[in-house]
Order: sequence, then structure tokens, then C-alpha cells
Amino acid sequence: MARITIDPITRIEGHLRIDAVVEGGQVQKAWASGTMWRGIETILRGRDPREAWLFTQRFCGVCTTVHAMASVRAVEDALALDVPLNAQYIRNLILIAHALHDHIVHFYHLSALDWVDVTTIPKADPAKAASIAESLSEWPGNSRQEMARVQKKIVGLLEGGQLGIFANGYWGHPAMKLAPEVNLLALSHYLQALDFQRKATQVVGVLGGKTPHIQNLAVGGVMNAINFDSQATLNMERLYMLKDLLAEVVPFVQQVYFPDACAIAGFYPEWFDIGAGVKNYLAVPDLPTDSRSRNFDLPGGTILDGKLDSVRPISGVRDPYFRHGVVEDVTHAWYKGREPQHPWKGETDPNYTDFQDEGKYTWVKAPRFEGKPMQVGPLATILVGYAQQHELTRKWTDLALARASAIAKRPIGVDKLQSTMGRYLARAIRAAVLSDLAIRHWEFLAKNVAAGDVDTFNPPHFPKDTLEGVGFHEAPRGTLSHWIVVKDGALANYQAVVPTTWNASPRDARDVPGPYEAALLKNPVANPEKPLELLRTVHSFDPCMACAIHTLDVEGRTTATVKVL
Amino acid sequence: MITASARISVLGLGNVLFGDDGFGPFVIQSLRAGWDFPQNVCLVDVGTPGLDLVTYFQGTDMVFLIDAVGGSGVPGELRLYRGRELKQMQPKPRVSPHDPAVLETLLIAELAGDGPHDILLVGVIPRSLDLGVGLSAAVREAAAAASELVVRELANAGADPVPRHRPDTPDVWWMRGPTLPDRS
Repeated sequence: MARITIDPITRIEGHLRIDAVVEGGQVQKAWASGTMWRGIETILRGRDPREAWLFTQRFCGVCTTVHAMASVRAVEDALALDVPLNAQYIRNLILIAHALHDHIVHFYHLSALDWVDVTTIPKADPAKAASIAESLSEWPGNSRQEMARVQKKIVGLLEGGQLGIFANGYWGHPAMKLAPEVNLLALSHYLQALDFQRKATQVVGVLGGKTPHIQNLAVGGVMNAINFDSQATLNMERLYMLKDLLAEVVPFVQQVYFPDACAIAGFYPEWFDIGAGVKNYLAVPDLPTDSRSRNFDLPGGTILDGKLDSVRPISGVRDPYFRHGVVEDVTHAWYKGREPQHPWKGETDPNYTDFQDEGKYTWVKAPRFEGKPMQVGPLATILVGYAQQHELTRKWTDLALARASAIAKRPIGVDKLQSTMGRYLARAIRAAVLSDLAIRHWEFLAKNVAAGDVDTFNPPHFPKDTLEGVGFHEAPRGTLSHWIVVKDGALANYQAVVPTTWNASPRDARDVPGPYEAALLKNPVANPEKPLELLRTVHSFDPCMACAIHTLDVEGRTTATVKVL
Repeated sequence: MITASARISVLGLGNVLFGDDGFGPFVIQSLRAGWDFPQNVCLVDVGTPGLDLVTYFQGTDMVFLIDAVGGSGVPGELRLYRGRELKQMQPKPRVSPHDPAVLETLLIAELAGDGPHDILLVGVIPRSLDLGVGLSAAVREAAAAASELVVRELANAGADPVPRHRPDTPDVWWMRGPTLPDRS
């Protein structure tokens, strides 16, 4: 028996720690721990609700806009304030572009190297790599010359002995199975993806004023002035600048990222049988298409016990099923309190005990939906949409499964998505769905403005009463909700229930584990010193933990360790 | 070789909600308030972007990073590092996208062939990185020295900032106390 601890912490920094007991080449028990206190919400008490989004945007440096958006939506819900159509479309375009950027970066730069062995690339035949690429996609950036160029670059790196960015991979690991040509193809797209993720960020910048922290939000709408006669506003030129950027990003998603994810899935079909974990799913509806946020372009709902026919829709933020369904349990988290609390009543009162296997072991609370742990993220979005016959979700999911099945030479059905590989594939499916919606929402905006509507903002009015509100957003990592209490115009409570809190949740009072912990059970581990398989499952969730501080360690101390006891 | 048309980015790193970790963003706002910069110099408060930092390295010739740094030293002590020294650090296994990624960003930009030729890190030893807004006195003092240092280095690179006759108040909105809306 071996106990593995993957712990990227130092004295001044803390993120995600995973502990796993391995016996007989499989994980028998696992713990997920957030090692940094997340009490950021306490900073907001007493502040102006109209300003909260500026602060919540700083919760997390990777998910800036999503926390800004959930915050203004929470205040709008508390005030029952409508949002002009233009503002909805502008916000939707920002959210879509942010998500496309995020999904591209996750696939290529944060997790591809768990599957792609860079050190085999010198053995690849560039012509064969180009012909494999041609069989997968009509993308023009897959020429034999391009493959040879990338191969030369990697050969130079490996021969120089300075692996640079690749210094840390588990190269030569028995779980790495791709042909050298497929590794070469993937790495050439890793490099191309750098340009396209940036173009997606530029969409956010054009609409939001700045990145990574957008400037254009307001409770009641957006601050973008629309005037076709002015250079300083959202005019025809800017609208077409956006369209040009989308015309580059959308084909990259549909012709590179999506086919690559299908191919990786097809080459590693065994990973459709690993890592399901918690099979309850939660997604909220998003991309509102009316000013009262009653209709959405992406459906939300729940699925229980992995049964697609159990789907129950969530109609909007006013749906009591969602509004009253969420509680947070702190039995195994380093906080005071006994009974699970609804976020409006939530407290964040620390009670640190050290890491106790059977006691408290994390700073992450355990959110529960009607008492159950829920998995959130692209997989939840896709399953909930598929089960509700959402047209775009059906189109891209069926295509993804057909492509992966063809490569694997075995049928892979929609139920197989409930797995480690399913989470990777669902993220690519979601990106493809969003890329279609990017074009649609650009057209909505252009058409509405052309019809003469230039409204972007409804001013908020604050009564003296006590108000409760919730704002949600189906973020790249899953359901995000901000819960606020406003008293006499000031924030009296603020709780953010973030996607990674759902997924990295610890056990609850009944000892039911959260999604990471459950997904790691029975996960194979060939070599406890090199737990690549374990990282594949953890990375499939796209963890985003601490919403952390940034301190560069200039004295070269190790900030991540794999320890085997 | 840095020329007059070189694209230079000055990036403030850190989380303004965690005390002295707001050093980088604070220095960016101080620079904006006190000087006018040539068009080829771009100042950005980038927060805590993890690997998303790569976006702000692409297409640049020179990058300044301003950040709190972990290391032995007295709070408020400034440290200056140049490209070569930064690259000697080892990249770490990554679990979440948040792990500080300056080195990884540098290596990725290098691999892609569109990263900066020159990089300079202006670091400060923090006193406190606890939850809360505002800098400690020692680090606030260091912020003024760091601004001067960045201005000098920019001038050396041929991109002279021009001091304002009447400096603005730095827009450090996160350090303002709460003001509330009118209630009816």
C-alpha cells in the first residue's frame, strides 16, 4: 500500500492537495484539500453593492470576468432590475469569448501533456503526421512543412538537453500511448493555440475595455455607449472588428480543438471507463436572450444518479428548485458551524485543525444540492442539454461520439461521457456549441443596434429594506453562484459558491465524498512515484482552486511535490 | 536590441485583496498617475493570471514584471532580476492554472518564438499577504522607489517617461473606504 500526496504548497502559497491511498495498482481512497483559506467574501461586507463586482473580479486571476458577471447579476436579482437587450448580448459575447479562451488553454496548455509524449516527436514522420491531420480536419495549418518545422524545433530542444517548458512531464510513462505522429500533430496545435486563445481574449478586450479585468460592467447593464457616429463608442468599426476576430477563433475551435479532442478520446478509449465519480450533475441556464433573463440559449437543470431521463430543468434564477436547493456543509472543512447553511445565511468563520483523515482536512466547504453532492462543469452542461434535446448540444455531441467511436473502432455512447475522458470531450463539445452561439449573439447585437436600440443601462435604485439576491453564471468550470444580502443599501452578507467548491468538495456530515474524491476511486496508478493517471482525472475537472495570491519564489524552492509514503 | 519602436509591457502582478500582494497593481497605478509614457509602452495591472500571462508576453520585445517575491529579506526590500536569472529557476509540476507561471510563460513564449528578448523583474519582499486591502508601510515606501526604478530602466531602454507637472492621485480604488448609494 502506498499513500501519495500531491501538494503544490509552500510557506506562503496554497492550492489543491490530493491524497490517495493506492493498493493493487488502484486508488482505494482519496481526499481533496484546498490548502488556502478562501474568506475573500468578508472584504465585501459594508460595501456598495454597485461596486462589489470590481472586488469579486479579483477573487480569481484566471476567472476574472465570471465573478464580475455573477456579482452584478446577484444585485440585479435583489433589486428585480431588468437589463437592456444590448447589455445582455454584450455580456454574453464577453462570457462566450472568455470561455473559448479558457477551454482552448485548458486543453492544449494545461492538460495535453498528460496524454502527449513530447519525447517521441523526433521519431515522427512529418508527412504521415500531415496526412493524419488531413483525415481529421480541413484546417489549413496542417501542412507537412509545418509539421517538419515544429519537429525541428522540438528536436533542437531535446538535443540541447534544455527541455524548457517540457522539463516536468512524465515522459516514457506506460500510460502514454499516442503514435509519434499524433504527438507531433498535437504539439503543433499547442503552438498554434497560443495565437487563437489570444484572439479570444481580444474579443473580451474590445467589449470590456481592458483585459484581464473588464471595465464596462454596471449593475443594470453595461457602460458601453453605442453610437455609430462616434469613434469612442461601440460603432460599426468595432462591431466588425469583433466579427473578424470571431471569424478566426470559431474555425480554430471547430476545425482544430474539437477534432483533436475527439481524436485523443478515440486513441485512449479505456479512459471512458475510468473516473466517473459523482453522477449527479448541476448546470444553470445561461446566455439570456431577453431583458428579464427568462429565456436562455443554454439550458440548465439537474441529472441524478447518471440517468439522463431524470433531468429536471432549472428555469432561471427565480426557480425555487435552485434558489432554495443549495446548502454548504462544513463537517470536514476548517470552519466553525454544525448544520449545513444556505448561502444567504452562510458564515466563514475559520477553525483550523491540521489535516485529519477522518476529521477536518480542507478549506473548501462541501456544497450540497437537496442534500446531494453534485458534479459541475462542461460535462454537466452537455448532459443536461443533451437530455433536454438542446439542438446545438445534440449536434456537436453526436458528432464527437461518432468521431471518437470511428477512431476507437468501438461504439462510444453518450453514457460513456460520464468518465475522465468524457470530461475532456464534453469541454470540447461545449466550446463548439459556444462557438456557434458566438456568431448568433454577434448577429443579435448587430441587428438590435441596427434597428435603432442603443439602450445599455437601467439605473438601479436601492430601497431601505433588507433584500436577498442570487446571481449565477455557467462558467468554464461549471455553475458559479454569488449570494448576497443587502441591508439599507450596503452589503450585509456575500457568499460565492464557485465551481471548484462543488467539484473539490470534501466529505459531508454523512461521509459522502465530493466529485474529485469519488472520481479518483479505482483510478489506475502504474507507478506511485509518477502518478500520471491520477493527474489525468484531476485535470479533467480543470481545477481552479485558491483564487490565489501571486508570489514568485525567487530562491528556487520546490513549490510542488509528489510524496509517496 | 531594444529600439525606439520596441514594444514594451510593464505588468503589475498580484492580488489586490491580499495585502502586500497588491504591490504590482499599486505600482502600475502610481506610474500612470505620475508620468506620461511613450506610445510603445503599455502598462497593465494583470492581477494573478497564472498561465494566461502568456497573452501579455506575446508580441513584446521587453517586459517589466512588478511583483511581490518570496525569499529571505527584510519587508520592503526591492530585488531586481534579469531574464537570464529568471530562466535558471526550474518549472514546477502544475496542478491548477493558478500556480505562479512567470517562468512557464517565459518558456512557452520562447518556444513559440514571439516572446520578449528582454525581461526584468522588480520584486519586493512583502510584510503580509493576509486577506485585506492595502499595503504595509514598508512596502508602500518601496512602491515609490520601484516606480522610480522602472522609469529609469525605461529611459535606459530609450522609452523615456515624462514626469507630469501635476501628478494625478493614483487610482487605487481597492484601498478606498466604502461609500454607499442613496436609499429611498
